[in-house]
Amino acid sequence: MDIEAYISSGIIESYVLGLASEEEISILNCIRKNNTAVEQAIVEAEKALEGLADIQAMEMPLVLKQDIWNRLEAENLVTKEDKTADGQVEQALTDGKIIQSPVQTTDAEKEPKRIVQRQFYGWAIAASVLLALSIGTNVFFYQQVKEGKKLLTETNAILDTQKASLTVLQDKWSLVKNPAVKTIPLKGVENKPDLHALVFWDQSSKAVYLSLEQMPAAPKGKQYQLWAMVDGQPVNAGVFPLKTKEQMASKMLDIPKAQAFAITLEDEGGKPVPTLTELCVMGGI
Amino acid sequence: MSPLHNLPEETLILLLKKKNQQAFSYLYDNYAGALYGVVCRIVTSTEHAEEVIQDVFVKIWKHVDLFDADKGRLYTWMINIARNTALDYRKSKGVMNEMKNQPLSNIVNTQEEQDQSQAERSARADFIGFRNILDKLKPECRILIDMAYYKGYTQQEIADELNVPLGTVKTRTKAAFLQLQQLLKEYR
Repeated sequence: MDIEAYISSGIIESYVLGLASEEEISILNCIRKNNTAVEQAIVEAEKALEGLADIQAMEMPLVLKQDIWNRLEAENLVTKEDKTADGQVEQALTDGKIIQSPVQTTDAEKEPKRIVQRQFYGWAIAASVLLALSIGTNVFFYQQVKEGKKLLTETNAILDTQKASLTVLQDKWSLVKNPAVKTIPLKGVENKPDLHALVFWDQSSKAVYLSLEQMPAAPKGKQYQLWAMVDGQPVNAGVFPLKTKEQMASKMLDIPKAQAFAITLEDEGGKPVPTLTELCVMGGI
Repeated sequence: MSPLHNLPEETLILLLKKKNQQAFSYLYDNYAGALYGVVCRIVTSTEHAEEVIQDVFVKIWKHVDLFDADKGRLYTWMINIARNTALDYRKSKGVMNEMKNQPLSNIVNTQEEQDQSQAERSARADFIGFRNILDKLKPECRILIDMAYYKGYTQQEIADELNVPLGTVKTRTKAAFLQLQQLLKEYR
């Protein structure tokens, strides 16, 4: 077949224009597969009609874009999320290659700018939303960390208190369980019936420990003083250290012999003889 | 000029197959005007054209998966969908028959707008910015493209209508394309 003659016969243009008969079309489809010149001539003819469509483009009513999209949505023909575009498409879109529109309308010059701006705003809005989300997340996590830290501090404080209490109890317990140690409860006197203290007296070492179980903190400038009653005479057994917590068993002076113990509230530092009016608790052995 | 220079065809097809709003936006912004131009020249009234162009987009959207890049160009494929949808619409509304019943003289003899009936002319006046590059073709070529491309006549119908042999229709078609290609070059 003379390809030149075929190409110049007008069959290709007839085909592109939609005029060719079915027989002509099937022959043409057969030739185009094996002949690049024919294929090229078809493409050229198609491009001519594409160019014609470009030049004769007409502006569409603006509302139609939304109308058509709504219709596609209504017919379930769309994918919801927009972030699936793969790298190639994304690349092409961000390259800015697509800013030119084939629409040859009277304001054809304005069109590309508008598309760029629309895309720019789209990205700007997306970026803003991401930024807002990011800040929100940061604030949220910052709050969480702050809460966590506060809780940790509180827990630590509680733990410290518990540990201290445990030490106090363990100290006392070691005294109580020691068979050599005698526990002497001191009870409140007539006008102070609620007061209560414990004396631990080590019979072998003669060491004396005092625990103010239920005694108000000593007023400023005052201090509790322990006395041992030896043959009817009060003997100084030492002052309860100011900085010691009331419940803690504090080591006092050694007492080799006593029939009873008593506590008075004295001026800071203690006195050589007890002020009997300030007697708080006492207990016999 | 052609949108295909902007986005490679295979990239555009990938994009369209995603069926998301970004794809639609790109399709619409870059092709709607051209496709609408084709539709308007076939159905000749804005009201009808707006109806048809919606169908065109739905068809492109639905059938893009069936598009075979080996068998042609995507833009041409879309134009053909627009053209066929519009021609079908014309047929269904009986506009086609009305047109075909126009006396021959009305098609051939007047130098200006001779392929249009009075009603069609006023309907076309609805369109803003309606440009007809085809007016610059030789009348015999312009009539041929108009009848074949925009009115859906067959070769035989054109031959009968113009009272020329089938071979002449082909020769004129070839000549029409050469002129059109020349014209497009001047535009670019």
